[in-house]
Amino acid sequence: MKSVSELLENTLSKSPYWAEARYHKRTSQALSVQKGLVKQAKSNLTSGVGIRVLVDGAWGFSSTSDLSPHSLEKTLKLAIECAKSLSQLKKAQIKKLPPTKLAKGLFIIPGYELLQKMPLDQKLQAVLKAEEQTRKSSSLIQSATCVYNELFEDKVIVTTDGANATSSLARNEIKLGAIASKSGEMAESHESVGKTGSWDCLFSRSSLSEMSENAAKLAVDLLSAPKIPGGNAVLILSPAMVGLLSHEAIGHTVEADFVLSGSVAKDKLGTQVASPLVTLSDSGTVNGIKYSGGELLVDDEGVITQKTTIIKNGILNSYLHNRESAAIFGVEPTGNGRAWLYHDEPLIRMRNTYIEPGQQSLEEIIATTDEGYLVDCPLGGQADATGEFMFGAQKVTKIENGKLTKMYRGATISGQAFEVLSTVDAVSKEFLLDLGSGYCGKGQPAKVDAGGPFIRCRATIGGVQE
Amino acid sequence: MSQPLRIEKDKLESAAEKLLTFAVKAGADVAEVCGSYGNKTRIGLEKQDYHLASADDGYSLGIRVLKGQQQGFASCNSTEPSELKEIAMKAIEIAGFSPANPHYSINLSANVPTNSPKNLLDPALIDISLQTQKDWTRLLVGEAIKDKRFRLNEGSVEIGTSLSLVLNSLGTHQLEADSAVGWSLMGMGVEGNNITSFDYFSQMVRSAAEAGDKIVFSARNFVAEVLRNLQIGKSESYKGMVIFTPRAVLDVLISSLSYHLNGRVIAENTGKWTLKDREIPILNKALTLTDNPWLKDRSGCSSFDREGTPTAPLSLIDRGVLKNFCLDHYAAHALQLSSTGHAAGGPSSLPTVSPHNLCLMAGSSPEDSLYQRAAQNQKSFLVVHRYSGQSDPVTGDFSGVAKGAEWWVNGERQYYVQETLISGNIFEALGKDLVEISKETEVIDSAEESPTLLIDNISVTGG
Repeated sequence: MKSVSELLENTLSKSPYWAEARYHKRTSQALSVQKGLVKQAKSNLTSGVGIRVLVDGAWGFSSTSDLSPHSLEKTLKLAIECAKSLSQLKKAQIKKLPPTKLAKGLFIIPGYELLQKMPLDQKLQAVLKAEEQTRKSSSLIQSATCVYNELFEDKVIVTTDGANATSSLARNEIKLGAIASKSGEMAESHESVGKTGSWDCLFSRSSLSEMSENAAKLAVDLLSAPKIPGGNAVLILSPAMVGLLSHEAIGHTVEADFVLSGSVAKDKLGTQVASPLVTLSDSGTVNGIKYSGGELLVDDEGVITQKTTIIKNGILNSYLHNRESAAIFGVEPTGNGRAWLYHDEPLIRMRNTYIEPGQQSLEEIIATTDEGYLVDCPLGGQADATGEFMFGAQKVTKIENGKLTKMYRGATISGQAFEVLSTVDAVSKEFLLDLGSGYCGKGQPAKVDAGGPFIRCRATIGGVQE
Repeated sequence: MSQPLRIEKDKLESAAEKLLTFAVKAGADVAEVCGSYGNKTRIGLEKQDYHLASADDGYSLGIRVLKGQQQGFASCNSTEPSELKEIAMKAIEIAGFSPANPHYSINLSANVPTNSPKNLLDPALIDISLQTQKDWTRLLVGEAIKDKRFRLNEGSVEIGTSLSLVLNSLGTHQLEADSAVGWSLMGMGVEGNNITSFDYFSQMVRSAAEAGDKIVFSARNFVAEVLRNLQIGKSESYKGMVIFTPRAVLDVLISSLSYHLNGRVIAENTGKWTLKDREIPILNKALTLTDNPWLKDRSGCSSFDREGTPTAPLSLIDRGVLKNFCLDHYAAHALQLSSTGHAAGGPSSLPTVSPHNLCLMAGSSPEDSLYQRAAQNQKSFLVVHRYSGQSDPVTGDFSGVAKGAEWWVNGERQYYVQETLISGNIFEALGKDLVEISKETEVIDSAEESPTLLIDNISVTGG
């Protein structure tokens, strides 16, 4: 019996044009518990092949879940037909994809087998226990949830210009939520972690029991916290918030497809866009950090991932590329072409995006802040082509005369990313990739991670006005 | 049903029946299969140009089993008997170790009523030529690149046909065919150093005959709206009246409100209201909210839900009085009520609860009078068209960036503002702080419908 790789090679050998075939099998399992009841326990198996071709300067794509040679050949023909029909309309035709170091061989991220061997039943018992512990941490906790998701990804990517890579990895995440209630007031908190690796990787920083305690404590603390006054302020952003800023507000604006559409980063290569203290990167693997949520050895175009320094000492240094945008800009692809499922085309997506650590300790940064806020525990966010961003934060603590004082309820912070990064005057040596659970959305989801040091900057807090 | 979809229908039904049989043979007391078939052709746009053309089709099947009060679920994208058997066994295995929950249920569904929506499938869309799809895409691109200040980032024209099937071992068998032409644009305005926020719209029609004109009309309006945002200025901080246009009403207020109308939230007692609040005034008496799954021009139109329960229009809030919650069988069982046909999801997910097409009813004031009233009360005020931010569904607090927002001074629009944050609470905004509702409404992205609202006591933090 032929291997998947041979099947794909045989199919592509019938193409007179550049072509790429990507086999993707995903097994996913999800568990969800609320108030002691299992709300969801499910398993999903999805597999198939997506074929993309470049004909007369235009892309065509088609996919199938049937791996028979006949079906694969039919899918190739359909993709060619699609591309041919589009080439008559396309104005800027893609001449040729740039040569690059294409992946060959096996690319395995450890943890897959360990996670697969652990019975789902055992994971469910842990989830049930964590939810119960969160719920019973305080009499003020009205409801708790615990959600666990895992994805096992097996891929084979073959291109007519030489890629032939087989990869496998497992991604998992766990999320805890608590709702506290007192005298008609309610407050909600979340705690989450996402990794690429085994079950144990999830708990390398905090145990599940500690995460339960943290989620419950935060919800209870928020009950009595006042709403924050709105306005422009000095902020110390935690690594998780820095991760959001790096990903949402900078990362998206330097994705080359957005740049070509006119994002705020267009024509800014080589110019000062941030404080000289800021160096910002996007990478498939991060030195010294194991099991990051966005870990990736080879992208979905068969390109080996590399570290891309987007901002170097405050100067915009590089955009993020797939093979097409690299051809347009005349640079090497950066390994950012990613597809969610076999029936999705690869798009320019981030992996692990972070600001590099600095020299000061967090303690020193707080001690030298007269008035401001320490902002932590992100609630997600969005950013615009203008670099304007909006992030939610669950936990905001006032800093007065170099000391942390009272805690406020969650707030929204906003600003223009490059302007905010230009105000950075302190960068900590403490460093974490800490985006937690969740996915980046850009038509398709993508699992990413982000983080950095603590940074001090100035931005707008959206709170109440008197 | 035309011949091509007849083949897919037979294949889907045959696979679903096999899956059901595997599950029952493997030990399920009751089992339910949710299945779908879909095919689509898509022309994608990117970077001011045509980008990629694609064609796909595929099946998806999910099996839910009950063993006593234990539930298991598994799904796949194959009709191969070996894979169907594998997922049936997996669902049984999951049920075997999942703790019992008395509210899991699979029920025999009634037939869909005769007045429910019919003919969601337009036969003209099944065999539509690639040339016609290219012509429609040309119309969309034509409008998008007419004014060079508009930068097209992404867009598409997509034609799809689908089959949805729910059957269970108690005898439920519901099948519906659907088709649609959908199109979307995402882009921004650029003029000199001025760059607007990204804006996005999508729309669909179920009839091929309607597509051309609607593509041109919607794209033209969208581009004009984006380009108006190029007149950029600064806002000021204040607390007071803000006008929310329909998309902002839905983004900020109704999305959070729907959490509190979700029957599962009521069953779990994690929302603001309980069953005892029905027939009690809960919000401003000018406010009426319904859910209507029978509107054929809306994307959420369907004659049955994820569990096979027939759908029907439902009054949720009537003149401020709480009338009903959205229920699936799980919530209905927990609350000792009947399902309202609001089980949501597809073959690869367990049922959840979601409304189909929410409609916030029109008020009696012309939209102009909302602007006049705001101007009478305040020298300057904000008009919010879109929202990017957080809404805490539990507390009802929201805080985020007002996108595409207008700044008005002395009753005149001055310019559009960026980096302006708004915050408030949805229960207060739709309760004591709701000042006026426009008589004009708008359907957003072929789904939900809302009028424009004038709301007081909103905190605005200027950039």
